[in-house]
Amino acid sequence: MKTISNSFFLGRLSIKQRLPLLICSLLLVCIAIYGFANYYSLRKADLTIGRDRLHSITAQMNTSFSQVTALYISNSTSVSKQPSVIQFLKSGGKMSQTEALGELNKLKTDSTWVLAELLDSNLKPLSSIGKNNIASGLDMKEVIASANLNPDSARITRLYPVKANAYYPLISEVSENGHVLGYTIAWKSILTTSKAVAAFSQFVGMGSSFFAGNRDGSLWTDFIQPVSPPFKPGQKPGMVDYKDADGNAMIVDLQPIAHTALLFGVAVSEKNMLNDLGRFVDWIIIIGIVIIVIGIIAAWMMSRSITRPLDELIKLATAISQGNYSQTVPIDQYQRDEIGRLANAFNIMIGQVSLSHHELENRVEERTAQLATVNKELEAFSYSVSHDLRTPLRAINGYSVMLKEDYEGELDSEGKRIVKNIIDNAKMMGQLIDDLLAFSRMSKKELTQAAVDMQFLAETVVRDLLQHEQADKYQINIGVLPPAVGDEVMMKQVMVNLVGNAIKYSSKKAAPLIEIGAEDAKDKTVYYVKDNGAGFDMAYGSKLFGVFQRLHSQEDFEGSGVGLALVKRIIEKHNGEVWAEGKENAGATFYFSLPKF
Amino acid sequence: MNNNSVEILLVEDNPHDAEMTIRSLRKVNLANRLIHVKDGAEALDFIFARGIFAGRAVENKPKVILLDIKMPKVDGIEVLRQLKSNEATRTIPVVIMTSSKEEQDIITSYNLGVNSYVVKPVDFEGFAKAVSELGCYWLIINQASD
Repeated sequence: MKTISNSFFLGRLSIKQRLPLLICSLLLVCIAIYGFANYYSLRKADLTIGRDRLHSITAQMNTSFSQVTALYISNSTSVSKQPSVIQFLKSGGKMSQTEALGELNKLKTDSTWVLAELLDSNLKPLSSIGKNNIASGLDMKEVIASANLNPDSARITRLYPVKANAYYPLISEVSENGHVLGYTIAWKSILTTSKAVAAFSQFVGMGSSFFAGNRDGSLWTDFIQPVSPPFKPGQKPGMVDYKDADGNAMIVDLQPIAHTALLFGVAVSEKNMLNDLGRFVDWIIIIGIVIIVIGIIAAWMMSRSITRPLDELIKLATAISQGNYSQTVPIDQYQRDEIGRLANAFNIMIGQVSLSHHELENRVEERTAQLATVNKELEAFSYSVSHDLRTPLRAINGYSVMLKEDYEGELDSEGKRIVKNIIDNAKMMGQLIDDLLAFSRMSKKELTQAAVDMQFLAETVVRDLLQHEQADKYQINIGVLPPAVGDEVMMKQVMVNLVGNAIKYSSKKAAPLIEIGAEDAKDKTVYYVKDNGAGFDMAYGSKLFGVFQRLHSQEDFEGSGVGLALVKRIIEKHNGEVWAEGKENAGATFYFSLPKF
Repeated sequence: MNNNSVEILLVEDNPHDAEMTIRSLRKVNLANRLIHVKDGAEALDFIFARGIFAGRAVENKPKVILLDIKMPKVDGIEVLRQLKSNEATRTIPVVIMTSSKEEQDIITSYNLGVNSYVVKPVDFEGFAKAVSELGCYWLIINQASD
């Protein structure tokens, strides 16, 4: 038969638990897939948008820088073209000294200014205002060369580290008729206060930080102090991904500042770009929990709507198993789902079962009645046998005896022998009828169940039976016989038959020996009666316990052939077994087992 | 025989059984005042002095009744029931003599108050012995109680 199998785990859960679990896991998987997919596309979009924004911010700022540098350059160019400056340089610093100094002062456009100088064509400083010592350690030749100036042009070159500061020069060539007379240089600091940078960062947003440095990567600042750049030095302009000191993913957009050899960069962390994403994940989790809770509640209600009718079916099935067929499953007429159909099928089944049950009951009743009739007929039959068969037999016997008594003188020896045979046979038939009746009566007799003292029974039976025999001829040993449970009268019959047989079949031996004993066997006790008499051939052993079956002739040993059949029937009625072992002319042992007391 | 001086009433439908019973009783000289009736109806008529026995002195009760069970018309059990339920006849000893070893018959008989119950053996000697012993016993008992 096929059984409805389930996995080990699911099989332990009721349907009421299984459905919510299933729905909960399905929802979880859906939400997870939806969440991850959206997370990644959102992240990608966020990053793209963030980069665009970064680029435009950087470009905007760079534009402001370019405007400032353009202003610086036009200012510087204008100073370098002043006649007093030209005069001053031409004269080797001897003429127009005051006017030139006045022009030089015009280079002090803002607070980042630190030093302004006028150099002659040999790069010798002829005049200066501000901190003189800044330029003292620098190779001015290199400074001017790096500017790569065209005649009458101005340029900001690169940053130079001076102590803990970074300065850049604004250089203009002073010339007359294509002849280089000298240079004006204004040194400006790129650094400002951390407060100013922080304020600016806040203005720009995105947790931005700023960098400025030489294109060759030789010096970088964060506008507060020189720093070793977190990204690879010597970077080309463009977007660069890198990790900061704390391992955060950062993006910097580097752009060249116009009119300079400088790069400007705005850096933001990726986390800042993905700010929305965190909120998205939070929402997904909250919405997910809400959906799952709703899903579980819905599933629970659904499975309850399934299991409630099932519970009723179970209740009903239990009632049916207890023989109550009066109930049916209440069905909503419009319930067309599987449950409704099951309930319907169930009701039909109840009807069928109830019908079959009644049919069966009727049939059993009918059969019982038939059996009772047969039984009664049988009883009447055995009554007739008992009464009617014995009556003519008694007459045969009686008249034979009368013949013998009243006409003894007139009968010769043959006549007397014949009369004797008639009497003996009539007696024999009477015995047969009695035995047969006892046997048939046994089957309808009710057992009484009580403790039977088998020891006492054996001793009594032996004593009774020996009354009719030469008692001193027999040696009968009775072992220890445990008590049994059963019908004492029937047990006595068993003992009488077996011991009687043992006496009968050993009676022709010189020293008849009979042993009555018992052995222990698991939950039963095996009793036995053993003799050293005529025994029997084991080949015919199966015939021993049949009715009217005999292994010895009537001449050798008298008997009706009912005794052992009766023993067998009694023992089987007591849930026991009988069997025998024997050998011709070497004795027999009859065993019977009975449940332990 | 005078119906008024009957000591043994034998109720037996089978003539052979009756013959053997009478023979056994005769051997011990108990058959002199015996009357044999063929069924229960006749037995009741005799006891209550009805029918063919009308005119008999009803107070002269038999000393013992030997009663077969299986008989035509009225069976032995019915006879026993009527005898034992009647105040006048209750004290007459009744010996059921039957071929039947049916337990139900034995139980019913004792419940109705039978005095003895004898299963007729096939063996004639045993039968004769039982009959004569019972006859003696009840006749003597009954005489003593009179």
